[in-house]
Amino acid sequence: MTQRPTWQIVLRYVLVLIVVGLFTFPTYWMVTMAFKPKVEWSTAHGTIYWVPQNPTLENFETVLTEYRGKFFRANQSSALPSIRSSIIVSIGGTLFALLIGTLAAYGLSRFSVDTGDLPWYIALGRLALLILVLLPFMVLWAWLGIIRYWYGILTFTLLGIGADQLIGRLLALYYRGPTGSLAFSILQLRMFPPMAIVIPVMIMWSAFKLIDTWYGLVAVYGVVTFPFVVWLMKSFFDEIPRELDEAAIVDGASNWGAFFKVVLPLAKGGLASTALFVFILNWSDFLIALLLTTRDWPTIPVFLNSLVSSEIGAQHGPKAALGLLAVIPPVVFGILIQRYLVRGLTFGAIKR
Amino acid sequence: MASVRLENLRKEFGPVVAVKELTLHFPDGKFAAILGPSGCGKTTTMNMIAGLEAPTRGSIYFDDRRMNDVPPGKRDVGFVFQNYAIFTHMTVAENIGFGLKIRGVDEATIRREVGKIAELLELTNMLNINAGRLSVNDMQKVALGRSMIVKPRIFLLDEPFSNLDAAFRAYMRGELKRIQREIGQTMIYVTHDQVEAMSMADHIAVMDFGVLQQFGTPDEIYNQPVNIFVANFIGSPNMNFIPCYFRSEDGRGYLVQRHGDARVLLDDQRRQLLERHPGNQDLIWGARPEHLTLHAQPSHPEYLRAMVRFLEPLGPKTVVHLELGEKDTIKVIAHPSYREPAGTVQWIEINPKYLHVFDAKTGFAVR
Repeated sequence: MTQRPTWQIVLRYVLVLIVVGLFTFPTYWMVTMAFKPKVEWSTAHGTIYWVPQNPTLENFETVLTEYRGKFFRANQSSALPSIRSSIIVSIGGTLFALLIGTLAAYGLSRFSVDTGDLPWYIALGRLALLILVLLPFMVLWAWLGIIRYWYGILTFTLLGIGADQLIGRLLALYYRGPTGSLAFSILQLRMFPPMAIVIPVMIMWSAFKLIDTWYGLVAVYGVVTFPFVVWLMKSFFDEIPRELDEAAIVDGASNWGAFFKVVLPLAKGGLASTALFVFILNWSDFLIALLLTTRDWPTIPVFLNSLVSSEIGAQHGPKAALGLLAVIPPVVFGILIQRYLVRGLTFGAIKR
Repeated sequence: MASVRLENLRKEFGPVVAVKELTLHFPDGKFAAILGPSGCGKTTTMNMIAGLEAPTRGSIYFDDRRMNDVPPGKRDVGFVFQNYAIFTHMTVAENIGFGLKIRGVDEATIRREVGKIAELLELTNMLNINAGRLSVNDMQKVALGRSMIVKPRIFLLDEPFSNLDAAFRAYMRGELKRIQREIGQTMIYVTHDQVEAMSMADHIAVMDFGVLQQFGTPDEIYNQPVNIFVANFIGSPNMNFIPCYFRSEDGRGYLVQRHGDARVLLDDQRRQLLERHPGNQDLIWGARPEHLTLHAQPSHPEYLRAMVRFLEPLGPKTVVHLELGEKDTIKVIAHPSYREPAGTVQWIEINPKYLHVFDAKTGFAVR
């Protein structure tokens, strides 16, 4: 092999530096800004400070304590409740999604016959049919005036599930091949932009009195991330040969025993990476928390948003400080499960 | 120990029929093999015996108890899979002791039993190693041990040695046979390898396309194949098949080659049999390469004239491929030092004792 010309090597490293710079600069800016005093992070002087000249913890202090009545920091509330809120709802939502998602994924991986790749026209056709079927009922429910109440929502939801299953069954009668009865219903959740889902959810949640509660948020986070858990875990379970379950079952284990003693421990790398992924999704969510919380349970992203107002201006320094704090849990989580992340990719139980 | 009886067992996967009306009896304490090419339904049969798959129709009996509705964990069978199905997140000892642990046996007993099994399989010094780090040979031993420890009434092995290296496979064949004879364990062994079936089994069931072709001892399967499939499947190199028809001349019976003029003289018993056979104008005769002899001179009038096409020297023997008539080729096993060049004319001696005759339409042996 011939040595590449020097300019190529230089160019390569320059490109690498540019890309790395693009990715790391925002982080760098956040970290340094968190330690800058107000004179340095505010743009009042028109000077840019690349490195904090007088490092200080002032921003952390500001964001973590409550000020009242001081002149421009009027009604500045502490970020501590939002940190607590974020931790509870993110972990809760992740656990909820993992619990139902992992079981569903195992079921789909081992016991479902209706899996496999779904043609796009079947997917879209099902969705269109479902909407068509539900539209008149929606009008009827609205006319009856019950759509805003919990019993209206509940009956409509059950109707939707029923209609979806009916469409699946009918499709299966005329179409040989995967119609995606179950797996697809799960994926349907992710086919809309989240905004389109969150507003109806907000109406429903207010009918169920779930707005601004931690369990209301946990339920939404669980449901929204559930499809990710199912599809990720299903692929991990598919990797584990069926013979392992069968061996455990022949040796006397029940289906649950085979799952908990053999399959789940083997998939723990996958479980760990799925958990991290889902946790980060929940942790960084802004939209859902913004619409479903008001006073008691706003999460960190929602609180960050409140640091900009006409009254107090843009609090960049405290924002950066809180951002830095918010980075800690995912990073710690990631480091803790790093061992499993690596292992999850390399296990090879069986010779094929 | 128990015997296994299958009655009209049928398994369908959608439109595919994997096993067709299988009726079989595996005797108690014997080593039986299910032999057939891949996709013949042998693994499906095994899974149904173990309870991993439910039959579409038919019954499975262990001794006299109908097992169809008994869940797999309660059937008291041991199952060894082709790909070991080792639990890689456990140590060797945990793997072997798994069945006992599931049954709630106390730790001390488990340790003692695991020790015994490990000694039997020469795994004692590996008990605390993570099972995922074993070699494939040791993995299969662990899989055997894991099934043995619960002392199953029936031991099912699904091509357990096909991933092992050749030397170790031969060793394990011997070991398995020894263990089976020692404890008189009922074993059912699924394989596509005729050598494994022939060398270990007391009885062999040959299957093809979900249909049982023949059930018998290795000798019966080899010497009296009931149809062309069995005759062709058993033996390496496989049997020669020459399309022919029956002709009677001067009180002597011949099988005349369809694409040529080679004639095989029949003994009196065969002649009488074929005279009465309605399809005697459309036959196939078969002879195993090891039952044919090559001669340089036509020292006997009934030798068949053939021409050498190429040789396959295999070490302990040489397979000679010859041209018989216009279209047919015939393989003969010759002495390892046989080195006649292509084109040489040779004379083939057929021992009528080892001649097989099949009906070309039905494929069944004419008996």
